[in-house]
Amino acid sequence: MFEIVLILIAPLVGGLMHGSQRVIRARMQNRQGPPLLQPFYDMYKLMDKRAFIVHPYHTILGILHFLTLWLVVALIILGTNLLYVIFLHLLATVFIVLAGFSVKSVFSHLGANRELLSLLAYEPIFIFLATGFYLFFGTYDISVIRENSTAIMTLPLLFIAFLLTIPLKLKLSPFDACEAHQEIVGGVEVEYSGVYFEFLYMAKWLEYIFVFSLLTLFAGDSILFAIALVAVVFLVANIVDNSTARVNIQETVKFLLIWGFGLSILNIIGLSFV
Amino acid sequence: MFDLKKYRKKSPWILHYNAGSCNGCDIEILASLAPKYDLERFGVLNTGNPKQSDVFLVTGPVTFRSRERLVELYTQMPSPKVVIAVGSCTCSGGVFRDMYNVEDGIDNYIPVDVYVPGCASSPELIIDGVVKALEILEQKSKEIELPKKLFGTIKEEEGVLNLREMALSVAQKSEQINAQKSEQNEN
Ligand code: SF4
Repeated sequence: MFEIVLILIAPLVGGLMHGSQRVIRARMQNRQGPPLLQPFYDMYKLMDKRAFIVHPYHTILGILHFLTLWLVVALIILGTNLLYVIFLHLLATVFIVLAGFSVKSVFSHLGANRELLSLLAYEPIFIFLATGFYLFFGTYDISVIRENSTAIMTLPLLFIAFLLTIPLKLKLSPFDACEAHQEIVGGVEVEYSGVYFEFLYMAKWLEYIFVFSLLTLFAGDSILFAIALVAVVFLVANIVDNSTARVNIQETVKFLLIWGFGLSILNIIGLSFV
Repeated sequence: MFDLKKYRKKSPWILHYNAGSCNGCDIEILASLAPKYDLERFGVLNTGNPKQSDVFLVTGPVTFRSRERLVELYTQMPSPKVVIAVGSCTCSGGVFRDMYNVEDGIDNYIPVDVYVPGCASSPELIIDGVVKALEILEQKSKEIELPKKLFGTIKEEEGVLNLREMALSVAQKSEQINAQKSEQNEN
């Protein structure tokens, strides 16, 4: 019962996180910033606007992207197999890439291309993450991982590698090249409008929940540690976002493939010696 | 009843277009979006994407080169939407009035809701203009507004509006006029 409630309110919690992120960013720049509920005001406004549809498939793929992400979050909350979750998340990304390539807009194509490249950068790290948990706990089950004590002492390098993917997944600086608002006008989301854009906007909120619930796996069974971890990482991600400039997509992929990939492989190899 | 209309005011997303201005007003617009004046506290976001924006901030007197894009961008914004003309030259031509290559203000091409004066207009005036525009936005209906010149046709097929040919290029427009003229000559 409790899980079902959690699943239902997951997008709302993500929206609150997005709102608080905007407030925190504003406070860091010494200004007032929008209200905390701003993402929801945006949502109501988008529902009130006329929507343009380029072609039905494009729109449906956008909605599917949102629904699949919701399913991913639901599976994490229910505590199923970690590997399923990661591959289902891959499917969600594939939907949005297909949507990006299905319209004529150049920016949409550029965004989809960059989305694919960033997939190349973070997906190996996610799979190594699952492998690391498997080697440590002997199972992919999220519920088992949650019941045991923290794995962060044996998987420190994987933890760092995972941290490196967070700005890329949440579209924060310095790794926000796939969205790049003024440069390629939002990438894949450029052709969406009105209530259909709302689905992509909410998918972004769910992305927050996805990333941070993966992060809490490192905390094991201690809820306090999980909360502290999320709070600290959220704050640090915002500080980094505020203080760095965007790097281009090639640099992003190179950096993640060298450091993220390297660190996770080191950790996996190290595990077999323990 | 839960009224969606009042949320229009709380989250206006801005599209900024330079129709040949001297950049004076653009700098002021950016200043009002930047931390010192902080337009974001009203929920304003500078999207740069016409399909997702509500407020169209235009600067510049509309040079010949920019008029097609102006109309195109205007038609790509979904209703309800408001247009703000920022700067004297955008309202009436200003210092560029009656020059051979300008069109003396954007209201020759698209309907304008708020005129913000000043050359260059100050961030305070721009913020005032945006807040005024939000009041107008709240009152608007979802009816499709047409540009004044260079607009094409809107077709309806199976209950769906086809807006694809809504904006015309200057070349298309002159073709249209020529076709009309030759028709008249034949008659
Ligand atoms: S109003 Fe004056 S400062 Fe502003 S764009 Fe026109 S000429 Fe430049």
